[in-house]
Amino acid sequence: MHRSDRAGTPASGTVVECRSVCKTFRQRQPSERPRDVLRNLLHPRFRTIEALRGVSFTVNRGEVVAYAGPNGAGKSTTIKLLSGMLAPTSGSVRVLGMDPVADRTRYVGRIGVVFGQRTELWWDHPVAASYEWKRVVWDIPRERFDRMCGVARDILGVGESWNTLARELSLGQRMRADLGMAMLHEPEILFLDEPTLGLDVLAKRSMTRLVQQLSATGSVTVMVTSHDMNELEQLAGRVIFIESGNLAYDGDFASLRREFGDLRRLVLETDSATPPSLPGAELVGSQGMRHEYRLGGGGADVAALLRLAGEQCPVLDVETHRAPIDEVIAGIYEHWGRNRPAGTA
Amino acid sequence: MAARILRLWALYAYLDGMWIARDFRSFIFYYLADAVTAVASVAGVLLLAQRFDGIPPWTRDQVVFLLGFGMVARFVPDMLGNYNVLHISRRIGRGQLDHILVQPQPVWMALLTEGFAPFWGLLSLAPGVGLMVWAGQRMGLEATPPWLLAFALNLAGASAALTAYAALWGFAAFFQPRAAEEISGSAVDLMTDLKGFPLDALGPGLRTALVTVIPAGLMAWYPCRALLGLDHGIAALWATPAAAAALCCAACLTFRMGMKRYAQVGSSRYTSFGHRR
Ligand SMILES: Nc1ncnc2c1ncn2[C@@H]1O[C@H](COP(=O)(O)OP(=O)(O)OP(=O)(O)O)[C@@H](O)[C@H]1O
Ligand SMILES: [Mg+2]
Repeated sequence: MHRSDRAGTPASGTVVECRSVCKTFRQRQPSERPRDVLRNLLHPRFRTIEALRGVSFTVNRGEVVAYAGPNGAGKSTTIKLLSGMLAPTSGSVRVLGMDPVADRTRYVGRIGVVFGQRTELWWDHPVAASYEWKRVVWDIPRERFDRMCGVARDILGVGESWNTLARELSLGQRMRADLGMAMLHEPEILFLDEPTLGLDVLAKRSMTRLVQQLSATGSVTVMVTSHDMNELEQLAGRVIFIESGNLAYDGDFASLRREFGDLRRLVLETDSATPPSLPGAELVGSQGMRHEYRLGGGGADVAALLRLAGEQCPVLDVETHRAPIDEVIAGIYEHWGRNRPAGTA
Repeated sequence: MAARILRLWALYAYLDGMWIARDFRSFIFYYLADAVTAVASVAGVLLLAQRFDGIPPWTRDQVVFLLGFGMVARFVPDMLGNYNVLHISRRIGRGQLDHILVQPQPVWMALLTEGFAPFWGLLSLAPGVGLMVWAGQRMGLEATPPWLLAFALNLAGASAALTAYAALWGFAAFFQPRAAEEISGSAVDLMTDLKGFPLDALGPGLRTALVTVIPAGLMAWYPCRALLGLDHGIAALWATPAAAAALCCAACLTFRMGMKRYAQVGSSRYTSFGHRR
């Protein structure tokens, strides 16, 4: 890839650095009662939301990082801080050695941002015109522009909507066009906030392929938020969990499973509707003669369990599989929900 | 920097042209509607001037010149900023500043260029220029180079005053995104509804108010008085540009403050409507 105009950036090392980042917002809390109209006007009540409470992490060049957490955890806020739209209340945010807010104009030329719920496309123009607009405003050299348009067409399938007005695109087509557009200037870092919103299975897959292809070059760093854990697990080697503004987990998916219970499943098909009782395995449910068990952490001895089951009734078929990552995450969220101190947002 | 601005203007002109070419019928429709509105906006004053042979101390031709000046002063901001700066409260109130912040250029550069819609503007310019030329010829107005310079300065001043005034009100949307979403549009209306009237008959208090608090007098009345010799002081020629400069400074300062605040509180509201045509 051509990086001659990106002098002064080391080829490896830390590119994103957040140190004790806090972000608080004030939200108006008007009372709905008619008799409070005057009070709402004169003494509006506010609630302070701590969207981020001292979050610290670093990301190295070439990493693909999943940024996950429940609704309202502070993901979009983090992405806005990282893309120069918001300043932290306290703490420091440095990306590519720059302060995203203070050095904004220089900085945003080197990053790409996609918000799934927003579009950068020109509504009443074909996708091609929006791309041309981007070329001029971002000052993209012709060669790079043509090459990246090719990538958008070939991998994301933007070609089919090339001459269609943005307002006539379907949600998924629009999203793909937006992703392609964010890539046109070959950003060094991509911040994607729920980029797979509305994408069908194939489109998601091509998105994943694109991110993998980009990260394979080792020079593009990607930070992506999503609620689709399977997709995140495929995309990213590392996941950062954020919960109520706190960093709750930072590591790879394998350790996440290990740490929060690698819930494996054992499915037995027997000749009886009564499930065999297996100490150490928790029965999830039975469907006819199929019985599903949840196995505890990595150490469950499947062979011993099978022997035990065989002593109670004939076992006709056996399946084991890992619990879907969604289930692991749901467990984690539930756990957080129970342990959250009252009154926090 | 100038080269970049020109390049961006060319880009937006191209987009504007594409838009019109693609949907020529709606363009004609919009344009006719605009033309009717423009004519309607000056018709009342024009008829009065015709009926009473002027509105003292203005002669009929001077009134026509004033109307033309007001139209042109309105259409320059329209051409450059109808889509953004004249309605900045929409951008701010709808949370759409983020779209500007992701562009690798200063915010002022984006605002200065992004609203450029020459094809809309140019056509609408014609009636205003026509009125001025026609009235000027009938009055035997001598367009000497110094006069032309003063004219250009005053026209730029009137345009800038309108833009800055709309923007100044618009910054209220930093604080009340929902309630103030359309406030810039109201400020523009306030200015342009009054722009075609010779205001001499008003009392001094009202007159002062109309060049300061609601500077609608700066749109045409005050500059034309100076340009057509109804006010002989040389200072009068400079008053409009100076007032406009002051308004622009105030707008820039307020905007900077607003942007500082924006970086802290962000926008609690977002609608995609209308940020890209
Ligand atoms: N501009 C703002 N003004 C006031 N409060 C805000 C603002 N932006 C975000 N918040 C609040 O900050 C918290 C974090 O919001 P954020 O959008 O970052 O969540 P998120 O993790 O992206 O959630 P989701 O998964 O639903 O997108 C929320 O409680 C939200 O109400
Ligand atoms: Mg979000």
